[in-house]
Amino acid sequence: MSARVFEAFLTRIYVDPGARARFKANPRAEARRAGLSDEECAALENTDWIGLEMAARSFARKRQMKRKPGFNFAIVKFLYRLFAGCLALFRRG
Amino acid sequence: MAAEGVEVVVAEDVAAAEADIMKAFHDRVGLGWRADLAAGIFTHLDCIDLLEVVADDFFDAPRGEIRALKTLASQVSVVLHGVGMGLASSVPVETKRLEKMARLADQVQPQFWSEHLAFVRGGGIEIGHLAAAPRTADTLEGAAENLSRAAALVGSKAIMENIATLIDPSGSTLSESAWISGILASADCNLLLDLHNVYANGLNHGYDPKAFLRQIPAARFRAIHIAGGKFISAPDARQGLLDDHLHDVPDPVFELLEEAAVLSPNALTVILERDGAYPSMGCLLAQMDLARQALARGRARRAVAEEVPV
Repeated sequence: MSARVFEAFLTRIYVDPGARARFKANPRAEARRAGLSDEECAALENTDWIGLEMAARSFARKRQMKRKPGFNFAIVKFLYRLFAGCLALFRRG
Repeated sequence: MAAEGVEVVVAEDVAAAEADIMKAFHDRVGLGWRADLAAGIFTHLDCIDLLEVVADDFFDAPRGEIRALKTLASQVSVVLHGVGMGLASSVPVETKRLEKMARLADQVQPQFWSEHLAFVRGGGIEIGHLAAAPRTADTLEGAAENLSRAAALVGSKAIMENIATLIDPSGSTLSESAWISGILASADCNLLLDLHNVYANGLNHGYDPKAFLRQIPAARFRAIHIAGGKFISAPDARQGLLDDHLHDVPDPVFELLEEAAVLSPNALTVILERDGAYPSMGCLLAQMDLARQALARGRARRAVAEEVPV
């Protein structure tokens, strides 16, 4: 059961700045509060703190990314460009 | 003028030799399908061996979009790439996601489908991106179980991709190479080797990317991703390489591609990934050509080592 709890704990400190700050202030206590084993608590004390901050920022940026335009939009854009190109050639010739 | 003519002939000979050697090994070079690149892709289909489509974008797509994707797949080979399953986890993969992949695969008939060796959610919270799972026996076993379920439901095995990570995951007891090799062996599946991820992890976590390639089973290399990223400053002023897919493929990644071609006994499908800040189509095609050249160099070295005529 503990592996799932461990992954859930990592997820929380990746996405929640408050949880991350509490964890950084007192890693063992926060890990224990989450129900992790002594071994897991010890492992978390050796967290790559700089890496954690960089990863968390990167995840936050990804979450903020807007949805990209859809497939049909691309087709319409392509056809529009094709049509505009043909029209330009027709006018020139 | 005469010298220029000779140069053109030599360049054509080199290109022909590269094409021959790639054909001998059945290697291919394709591009990640992105809506913004559609116009360029449609007008250069003759230079693109295949397209990789992000499957999740089409899981809940309207019928018209699926029809358009099927039309695309009838013109060029397509492979599907999943990003949201979170298969490398001790948490069982959601059946709903597998069913969506199965339905899309049934509709599009891709040459293969792939996913990531990552976890993307925990305790009901979405991370929003691919996160490196703690490299332990638990996640290794969980990934193998997830991959087995995925193969049963989708109808074919996923090719699994190594991910880039800015953080060395806490609680890991296995090296990255041992963990990846263990999952591939347990699940009996092949590897989508992302070379920019290997390069980035090597720089960020202090290992030699070429040595890493020799530590994972080359017999399982089937597909390869190439991409570019950028260096970002950490709070302690150290630099980290972010795999953002917004930049051109750097030279060290082409060098790794050459090494992968030396090591791999199987045909390789190389896919150039670009997720934004799009350059001209000519620039993307030029990077695909550099990939072909790297493959050809690697295959030539392999052929010499094996004394195989090409």
